[in-house]
Amino acid sequence: MEMVSTVQNTDVKQSLQKVNERLLEKNPAESLLFDVVLIATDSQQQSSRIISSTSHYGLEVGRFCFSSREDLVETLVVNNVQLFLSTDRDEALQVSQKGVLSALLGRQEAPSESLRVMLCGDAIVRPDCDPVPASRGAAQSFSARLGEMRGRFGVSGSPLSIVLVTSSGGSKSCGVALQTLRSRGLSVDEAYCLAGAPRGPILSLLRPHFLLGDGVIDLED
Amino acid sequence: MVKMSLDPVQVKELNVSPSPNGDSRASWEEEEVEEEEEDRLGIATKTKPPKPENAVTVAVSSRVLFRTELEQRVFEQKGVEEYLRYQIEHENEPFAPGPAFPFVKALETVNARLRELYPQSEELFDIVLVTYNHAHVGIRLINTINHHNLFIERFCMTGGSSPIGYLKAWQTNLYLSADADKVREALAEGIAAATMFMTEKLTEVSESQLRVAFDGDAVLFSDESERIFKAHGLDKFFQHEQDNEDTLLDHGPLKGFLEALGKLQKKFYAKGQRLDCPIRTYLVTARSAASSGIRALKTLRAWGLEIDEALFLAGAPKGPMLEKIRPHIYFDDQMFHVEGAAEMGTVAAHVPYGVAQKHNQPQKPGARK
Repeated sequence: MEMVSTVQNTDVKQSLQKVNERLLEKNPAESLLFDVVLIATDSQQQSSRIISSTSHYGLEVGRFCFSSREDLVETLVVNNVQLFLSTDRDEALQVSQKGVLSALLGRQEAPSESLRVMLCGDAIVRPDCDPVPASRGAAQSFSARLGEMRGRFGVSGSPLSIVLVTSSGGSKSCGVALQTLRSRGLSVDEAYCLAGAPRGPILSLLRPHFLLGDGVIDLED
Repeated sequence: MVKMSLDPVQVKELNVSPSPNGDSRASWEEEEVEEEEEDRLGIATKTKPPKPENAVTVAVSSRVLFRTELEQRVFEQKGVEEYLRYQIEHENEPFAPGPAFPFVKALETVNARLRELYPQSEELFDIVLVTYNHAHVGIRLINTINHHNLFIERFCMTGGSSPIGYLKAWQTNLYLSADADKVREALAEGIAAATMFMTEKLTEVSESQLRVAFDGDAVLFSDESERIFKAHGLDKFFQHEQDNEDTLLDHGPLKGFLEALGKLQKKFYAKGQRLDCPIRTYLVTARSAASSGIRALKTLRAWGLEIDEALFLAGAPKGPMLEKIRPHIYFDDQMFHVEGAAEMGTVAAHVPYGVAQKHNQPQKPGARK
């Protein structure tokens, strides 16, 4: 069971749900699914509001968890969270430094057809330059699971899309990243090699739901 | 074969072995070590691609840069999954050069000369591979790029979605593709674009000088005169051109690219290399020098664009003239001329713009302006 924890952002949750639906369509006994845990670190007063708005949007949230900021990492570990998503950059960075893989949520202006997961290839090619080495192991195992999940679907019409972006290296680096990911069982759908070009224009077209493997960077960069 | 000079700029006395662009790459490990060395020593042993806003960006699709007919057939006959499986199976077999290949090589030759004269400048050609191929084909494409010693460090493999947005993001100055629909989309977005086709016959082209040839109407200029010709015939056309001799023609889709070439040419002239300039441009038009051609020349002059050679054919077929010029690429809005050029071994690219697109049949030779 994949475990993902999210705060806010209904499109991500809907896209995650869609992946689960399609997986179950293919195999009703499928166990490799996204499990969404909603963690609220605000005060208790928010709790009933969160629960009611979640059902309002028809979102199947598996669990609710209320945690204080200080206990956040422990809560994540206790719940065996494999990926923590947040809109708060500092929060995500703090969590990843403690070894739990985290990513920033992208801003979605329009609903998308698939869950778009972006991987930053630079950290894959040069692990020594990884800004958050603590969560590197978590990143590798998550990407292997993601690869397994992606493999359940065909090339076209998949509810899950894997996008690779390399920012600084040239085409050879990107090739190394593609090879490395493939050896971990993760096949990439789209690949963009920027070789030093500004990320902004390309990222705004790619509209990922979240970005992995870059430590934690600003998706609006 | 002109080898691109990639000698490192030696800043300190260090034992840095230059990375010549000569040996073909075999293993991935080699590359990784090289790049790590580059980082450790802090000196770029390879040249870095320029920022998009400074460069003349040429985006090419994989089907025009390389020959992929066999793989296309697999896709058409057996579907996408089989196509990708085939590609992965043949990953270590590089593709053969396609119709845009000599053009891209010539761009790199110009870059080498520009770097010699202006080592700090980013005003260079930047070649980006923009393909809606799936990333599964990525490794084979990268292997092919390495095999042919192409300096293509940037690419977009969109996995099926439209590449047009990315063209704008890269500030593309010219887009070359095998897909006419994509080319039309790009033109509609104001990006110079043309469709390329593979031909069996290819005449040899220069390895030291980039030669680009343009048709006039509906390529460099708007299609207004063609409209008159098509609606009212040759005589009316002549009359109209004479009456409007001093009125500038409106610009066409490739004007901007000619302008970009002109800017680079001036950089060579500034260093006293006018005679030896590695860029040469040609106008190859069916207009005639004595009459309708004057308006074309006046327009170019008013735009501040220098074209090296203007060839007014007065209706004669373009093929033989192009065969003499040997451009790396020739842009025309009429398939009739594109096919005629290809028959004689010239790489011609179709610009699907203007009124000529409604008339798809080949024209009678001689009944032209």
